[in-house]
Amino acid sequence: MTGWRREKCRSGYCTLWKCWLIPSLAPGRRGIVMDGNKLEQLFAKFKEQAEAISARVYRVHDSSAAGRQLKNIIKELNIKKIAAAKSELVSDCLKAIKSQDVVVHTSDLRQHSEDAELGLSEMDMAIAETGTLAQDSTALDQRLVSTLPPVHVALVRIDRQVDKFVDAVDYFNEQDLLPGYIAFISGPSRTADIERVLTIGVHGPEQLYIIFVDQAGGETCE
Amino acid sequence: MSDKQQIKRNIEKALANENLRGALGRFGNDYVGARERAYTGKDFQELRDRIAAVKGDAAARMEELARRFTESAQARGAKVFRAGTAQDAKDYIKNLAQEKGATKIVKSKSMATEEIHLNEYLGRQGLDSVETDLGEWILQLCGQKPSHMVMPAIHMTRDEVADIFSKETTQELSADIPKLVGVARKQLRKKFLAADIGISGANIAVAETGTLVIVTNEGNARLTTTLPPVHVAVVGLEKLVDVFTGVKSIIEALPRSATGQKITSYITMITGPTPAAYPDGTVQEKELHIILLDNGRTEMQADPVFKEALQCIRCASCLNVCPVFQLLGGHVYGHIYTGGIGTILTAFFNGFQEAGELQNLCLGCERCKRFCPGKIDIPKLIRELRSRVVEKGGLPGGQKFVLEKVLPNRKLFHRLIKAGQLGQKPFQKGARIRHLPMFLAGLTEGRSLPVIADKAFRDQARNLSVPEGSSKESTPDSKEKVGFFAGCLTDFVYPQLGQAAYKVLKHLNREMVFPAGQTCCGVPAVLMGVRESAVQLAQQNIEAFEQAGVDAVVTCCPSCAQALKERYMELLETDPAWHERAKALAGKVQHVTAYVADKSGDGSSLRLKQTGGRVTYHDSCHMKGCLGITEEPRQLLAAAGLELAEMEGSDLCCGFGGSYSVKFPSISRQILDKKLHSMEAANAATVALDCPGCKLQISGGLDSRGKELPVKHTVEILAENL
Repeated sequence: MTGWRREKCRSGYCTLWKCWLIPSLAPGRRGIVMDGNKLEQLFAKFKEQAEAISARVYRVHDSSAAGRQLKNIIKELNIKKIAAAKSELVSDCLKAIKSQDVVVHTSDLRQHSEDAELGLSEMDMAIAETGTLAQDSTALDQRLVSTLPPVHVALVRIDRQVDKFVDAVDYFNEQDLLPGYIAFISGPSRTADIERVLTIGVHGPEQLYIIFVDQAGGETCE
Repeated sequence: MSDKQQIKRNIEKALANENLRGALGRFGNDYVGARERAYTGKDFQELRDRIAAVKGDAAARMEELARRFTESAQARGAKVFRAGTAQDAKDYIKNLAQEKGATKIVKSKSMATEEIHLNEYLGRQGLDSVETDLGEWILQLCGQKPSHMVMPAIHMTRDEVADIFSKETTQELSADIPKLVGVARKQLRKKFLAADIGISGANIAVAETGTLVIVTNEGNARLTTTLPPVHVAVVGLEKLVDVFTGVKSIIEALPRSATGQKITSYITMITGPTPAAYPDGTVQEKELHIILLDNGRTEMQADPVFKEALQCIRCASCLNVCPVFQLLGGHVYGHIYTGGIGTILTAFFNGFQEAGELQNLCLGCERCKRFCPGKIDIPKLIRELRSRVVEKGGLPGGQKFVLEKVLPNRKLFHRLIKAGQLGQKPFQKGARIRHLPMFLAGLTEGRSLPVIADKAFRDQARNLSVPEGSSKESTPDSKEKVGFFAGCLTDFVYPQLGQAAYKVLKHLNREMVFPAGQTCCGVPAVLMGVRESAVQLAQQNIEAFEQAGVDAVVTCCPSCAQALKERYMELLETDPAWHERAKALAGKVQHVTAYVADKSGDGSSLRLKQTGGRVTYHDSCHMKGCLGITEEPRQLLAAAGLELAEMEGSDLCCGFGGSYSVKFPSISRQILDKKLHSMEAANAATVALDCPGCKLQISGGLDSRGKELPVKHTVEILAENL
């Protein structure tokens, strides 16, 4: 597990130092699925399952297209304030909305997530069987932006898909040390506690947008 | 007021609560389908085997895993406290709060903290402990208790919730569910942001890694474990599993079995403290305190029978499919853990005395057993609980006499039934008893009873082994000598079932014999907890059939069949010689319908008359749930040229449950109402079934409502069509 960065990141594009800075995210730079057919199958299944539980799923070519998709969401929901948990993909995505009339916070998130209208983060994994996202959420910022704001936009690299929940468990189990906080997220927050009527958005996000990115600078690692 | 009176009062209250019945009934109906869809592509049997193995192994090594968990969690920086009793756990939290100068606490849903009544205690210490699960918060605001393990406020209406929230926010709120949820979000968000301590439970605790797994939908557990700088998790020892990969099977089953979801919105796995924001604006590691709660669990683990209950993953599917729970909800159970499994847990966490009366609520339909993802034989545990309560406290006088003295004495028992046949004459009208003396009034409530037959089957059967037109010797192509086990209802109330079985078996060239030494199968004694009588009855029946030297044993009653096939081995487990004899008998026993289907190529060799017409089939609990027979009767009915019109919920209980219908007539009656409703909606000319008890209940129910719908045992229909 330790050698991969050097072996695989030989192209000049790879910003190796970032991998070292955020060690828990480092595995996220490595694709899980490489077989194109398999990848398409998993994505189709994921989309179907996630949409069945009220998430919205998009797929874009690269990080700047992800930024344009985010821009559309901001426009549609009239978002003025964003809290974003830092990652390379998140930063690239945010570049596209710079000109927009929206304030983006990437630090002091405990304070800013309280009234941010949208939280943005990158997830480490997508589980096709149940339309679930998984993340090493040890860093507080990752948790804040996906719990407090009413809208959560999650970015995922397309090659970070697994088929089943049990595969995700195996994946984490293979790591030398389990992350301190693993979050599995399937659709927006929901309750059926009053008369068993399904109501979306109780304590967590009311809306979950998932944007899959095909070339998230990922080719730079190959 | 005694426990018993209190329960009866609670039952009447629950039965009168339309909201509760509406909500629970709708849920009960939707649940089975939703659950099945969620399990699509999964092998439930294989999954439950894995869960039973993981949880069973963890329960067997509870102490070892607790130690290992403690080490692993501590290595990751958590503080672990072993709480022997509820009070130990409460004191720990109180002291921690004092030490931290904390006053504001947010809680995410946790059965363990409900079990130890943590909120009330913290409240008395001047601490503000707020439930953040929507259902739990509603209940906390109005001072009520959860009525369901997964959906705590399922008994409340939107109007009631609007009233409660209006009071809390001092504004007039409409009963609009999304708006009410929005109000809760706003109110509770303030609490989350201000809290000093977050308290949660855990669904799984992994010994290998010190990990806590929390499964939720609302997201309140994520906030509870993210915002406050101190996190306290209260975890029952039964939540431990050995290794991290052990979480797989449990998480695959829990949401599917609990709410029919493939997965819940959130699954959170916490290993050691993680960063949190402190009030001074800094971000540092939080404090993580894990309380491993015993409170009766090691006692349960040491019990050879009840340790099985530790395989429970708290999905509450046993409640969701329970016909009694669907009517009554959880409040009748009077404690935190409700329904079948709740009765068992209550016995250990709150005391046997308190569970003593509750176990009586079980109908014995055994439906829960089929659904339990932990593969717990809940009905068996309830029977065990019942017999221990009876061993300790005894039975009321009348029942004691009948079950301990009369039942095991076959001659006396049968003499008394025959005396009853004469005694019923004054109350008899037509072929049914409509009214009985006061002390048996419950029996005829909403249902009239058939009369005891003039001539019991055992008296009619004297000539059976030498039937007219046949020689005493077996016919050349006769393969088997078949012993007929009547059971009380066939013997004394429906001897025509015995005659029908005889006719069909004869047609199949079988010699049917009736060993006269046979008696009651013992199920009533087992269900009433009188094990000694049940053992005596088992031995009498085993002996009777051994002496008859039969190749096979058939009966018209699935409950009797199950007793002979399974229960006797269980009852005689400790006596190797008798156990062997019970096993030999068990291997020969079949329900008559399955036997006939088996020997006739699903009826084809019977060459039945094709009468035509619509028939609807009721799957008796013990027929489908215990014997696993569903297709055979349907194929036999089709072989008679009948068109099958399936009713909705054909496998829902009719509410008979033997003596249950006497103990809890009002519950039994309402379950029956539901059954009759779906039966009539099937628009058939005949109801077919395979259990004399169900026949009694259903035909009695139809009769008392003035309905002329014939209710027939499959074997009767076959005999008519020969």
